[in-house]
Formats: sequence, C-alpha cells, structure tokens
Amino acid sequence: MAGTFADIIEAAKKKAVKRRLAISSVKKPDMEIISRAAREGLVVPLLVGDGKAAEALVKKSQLTSLEHEIVDVKDVGGALRTAMELVREGRADMLMQGADDLKKFMKAVLDAKTGLLKGKLASYISVFQLPTRDKLVLVTDTFVNNYPGVTEKQLILEHAIKLAGLLGIDAPKVAVLAAIEQVNPSIPSTLDAAVLSKMSERKQFGNASVEGPLDIDCALSHVAAGRKGLKSVVTGNVDIYLVPDIESGYLLSQSLVFFGKMEMAGVLMGLTKPVILNLPFVLRENRLVEIALASLI
Amino acid sequence: MIRSLDDVSRIAGEKGPKKLAVLAPEDEEFMLAVKRSWEAGHIEPVLIGNSEKMEKVGGKVGFDISRFERIIENDRQEISDLGIGMLFSGKLSIVSKGQIPTSYIYRSIIRAEGKAASGMTVSVISFWEIPGLGHLTAFTDTGVSIMPDYRTKVNILKNAVFLYHLLGYEKPRIVAISGQRKFGGTLDSYRDYKLLMKAAEAGEFGECEVIHATSFAEIFLGPRGRLRDYRDIDIEKMPHIILVPRLDTGNILCKLDFFLDVTRCSVAVTSRGAVCIPSRSDFSDSIVTELAMGVVVADRLEKEVR
Repeated sequence: MAGTFADIIEAAKKKAVKRRLAISSVKKPDMEIISRAAREGLVVPLLVGDGKAAEALVKKSQLTSLEHEIVDVKDVGGALRTAMELVREGRADMLMQGADDLKKFMKAVLDAKTGLLKGKLASYISVFQLPTRDKLVLVTDTFVNNYPGVTEKQLILEHAIKLAGLLGIDAPKVAVLAAIEQVNPSIPSTLDAAVLSKMSERKQFGNASVEGPLDIDCALSHVAAGRKGLKSVVTGNVDIYLVPDIESGYLLSQSLVFFGKMEMAGVLMGLTKPVILNLPFVLRENRLVEIALASLI
Repeated sequence: MIRSLDDVSRIAGEKGPKKLAVLAPEDEEFMLAVKRSWEAGHIEPVLIGNSEKMEKVGGKVGFDISRFERIIENDRQEISDLGIGMLFSGKLSIVSKGQIPTSYIYRSIIRAEGKAASGMTVSVISFWEIPGLGHLTAFTDTGVSIMPDYRTKVNILKNAVFLYHLLGYEKPRIVAISGQRKFGGTLDSYRDYKLLMKAAEAGEFGECEVIHATSFAEIFLGPRGRLRDYRDIDIEKMPHIILVPRLDTGNILCKLDFFLDVTRCSVAVTSRGAVCIPSRSDFSDSIVTELAMGVVVADRLEKEVR
C-alpha cells in the first residue's frame, strides 16, 4: 500500500509499459519535471506546440538525451487541440496541462463531443501525504463540480474509491463531511451524507466503509467523535474525505497546503485517459507525483 | 489590541469574574473547564442541567459545585432557553454551551432576538490563533446561517467587524472567500464577494480594509503567483476576518484545529452579549480559552454603546 509520494512514484516505475504523455504548450518551468519523469522511466513525453521553441527547450534540458517526441503545431492555439487528438486517438496515454489557459483546457477536456469524459462527470482528487506518518489521504471533489447532488457525489466517491484501490487501499474508510454530525433536513449535505452512508451499509461501495454525516472534528479524531457519542471505524483514520461542495473542497485543499504545509498532488478522474492539471498551489516537484498517479490509472 | 489568546486570558483575569451560565456542563471536559475558569477568577458559574450528571462529573474533576447557583433542568431546549433568557434579561453577562447540541442554543437566541425586536443577525465567529502570526484571525459565520444570502452576509460581516473593533483592531482586514475557480461558471459566493467588497469600500462595515482575493492561494500567492516553497508562505498576509460562503465550509475550515497547529475559540455575537460556543468535542484547554474570550467580550460590550 502506498503511504508516501515516493511510494506512488515507485509503484508507477514498476509498470511494465512506459506511458506516452502529451503535454501541450510546454514552457521552461515544466521541462525539469518532464525530464525527471522521463529519466525515472515513467513516461515518454510528447511535446505538442511550436516545434522550434520546443526543440530549444529540449536542448537546454536533460530530455535531450532521453526518449521524447516533438509534435510541431504551427497554428497558434492548436497545440491543445492536437494534444487532445493524440490522446483521443490512443497515440498518447495521458494528457498534461502545460501553459494552456485553465479555462480553455478544462473546456476542451470536458467537452461532451470532443473531450475525454467517460461517463456523466469528471472529478478532481487531491492526494495529501500526512506529515506525521506514512499515510496518504484523498480529498474530493476539490476542483471540478460546484454543488454536486447525491447522484453526483456517488460518482465522485466511486472515482475516489477507484484511485484508493490503485494506491493499495482496498477497504478505504470514507468520511462524508458536513457542518454537523447529525442528520438535519435543513442542511442538504447531511442528507446526502446519510444516503451515501446507508448505501455503504448495503455494500453499494464494495469494501469501503462510508460514514456520514461527519463534521471535520469527528472525522479527524476518534476521541472527539466518541465525545459526541459517535462510534465508527472511520473516525480518526480516514482515507477519503468527500466534501459537500466546491466551496468546501477548493478551500479545504488550500487550507491543508497553506496552513498545514502538506504536500499535495492531484489528478482528474472520470475520463477516458488520465489528465494532469497545472494548479498554482501544487509544488512543481509534486507534478512528478501527479504524473506517477496518472500512470497508475 | 488583543493579539493572542494569552492576551485574552490575561485580560479575563483582570476583568473577571463575570457571571456566566453554563448550559449542561454534564461532561468532564466541560466541568473541568468551568472549574479552571473559576479558579482563574474569570467566571462565577451558574450551572444549568441535569442534577445527577452535574454532581457526578463535578465529583470526578474534584469540583464542589454545591457553592454555586444551580438550576436543575433535564430538557435540552429548556436548559438553553433558561440560560439565554438570563442573558437577555441582564441577569448575567455571558452564556456558554456545554454538552448540548448547538442547534438548541441558536434556536433560543433567535427567539430571544425576535422577542427583543433587535433586528440582529446572529452569527458565530471562530478565532484562530496561528503560531508566529501577530494577530487573531477569524472565520465567520461558522455556526448559524446555512446558506446566507447577500444581506445576511452583510450583517455577518458587520458583527465580525464590530467584534474586532471591540478587541482593539482599528482597521481589520477582511476577505470573502469562495470556491470560485478560473472555470466552472460564476458562483453566487463570488457575486457576493464583489458586492461585499464594494460595500466595504463604501464604508458599510465601518473602518476595515478590503483584501481582493477569494481563496487562500490568492491571499498568499496573488492572482498569478505560484507556490514554490512552503517557506515562502508569508503568514502575516492572513486577514483578520474571513467571511465563509456557507456553513459547511466555515465549520470544516475552522475546526481544522483538530489537525493543524492552531488554537480555535468561538463566540456567538448577540445583541445582549456573548455566547461561548465550544464544540462538544473540545477539550478543557480550549474551552477555558473560549470562556475567557466570552469574559473579555462581555467586559468590552458593557462599556460600548452599540
């Protein structure tokens, strides 16, 4: 079971086949990570964009002596479209956002006709490495869906359980977060959490133990939960935190980064091929972990 | 200016004891906190709750409660109504939640505000003391409004700015956070942020400084920055008042003290004084601090004509 980011990279390196990573509009800051990913044997980079500019960047990086490919795209703005085509047509196995505008990138990825959406929705999982012990925790959805209802939360949770399984967490403990630990019909998140918890009781999430609603103190501390009369295998040892909405998810993930100084890597799920975003609060070196995560999917 | 929770404890020692009703101190941690606050000279407790349970936990923590005023009541809502009623009738200065779900207390407060026709929006302000930061930071509303609309947010911010002024902050820095990203449409919380910032700049909340950011990434990195090293995070950029978009968000963020190296302290602002809102999962150390904050706020409210 992966307990650290280093474990994720090691697990990805053990994959028999190197994955082909299409990265559109690559810029200098990304070259170091792409080169490292290639050197570690994780991927073969496909640099999509202005051929001459890409060649110049490669020459100045370690990638120059490693297997890679440059896909020259002359027209401005065509790099992302071409990278998407490579992935859709199976010539690349995963897609990484380079210097593309985030809005355009997400629009292209999530486009119902030409994008990479596999089912009804995509979701984003923030993976954190705990500072005190070797344990990874997943927080979702921290980037894509604004106000998911219970149907969407079911899918988001299934994505997270899938990723947990790939990380070797076969029976994940899931906290469905809300403002309070009691079911209150006036607080929709508590109702959704209760439904998901009941579905878990009926084994609709396989081996996962889903507990909700849980407030964050009960989720984080077994003792705190006990003082509120709550007994559960989930409290104090959570693998997956399912947040009520984007307001909570986006800000919780940033709180853990800025106040907890926790290492974070993220990945988009629910797509036909893995996609790696370029978020400003993810340390650049952790983009290597994101590549490794994508390789495992 | 009160910069830390140590300042709060020191001032509570100077200004106390204040008469404080504790609602259902039926748990060892709560009773221990009451004992410690009384010993520190912060409070003179009035204990409201189940007689047997209060006696039992008092005995467990070595606190002879027979010397204090006790009101025996078993019904949770009645306990809450009694305590809040005493606050609104001026019989005491502060109320603190004990081992009782918060919803009972909010119900009592909202009813009491209605009867008093105060027009007050009740909100909870959860302070964080962050090591290395030279001021208190607060999230609001972390307790009452589930999905506040713009008008409610205005009132929530007014309460927080008022409280900060009481604590000696002449021009608190405020921010309204949101889940707004560069894609995904425009969230209501982002629309509210825009309006609130205009209102703040127009002076609707009194003296305060507006921070133009809606996420921690924007606060610490700016609109186009990138995190390169955790050592680059300048914690002094942390605002004083953080308006959260929803109750879920506020509650989840403020209670990260169970995981992070921060200390939390929550107070509800009412038109008649402070109500301390410890979580039922809080431990005595943090409850003592919350009671001390209640004492300080009550003391300053007594001198303030709102």
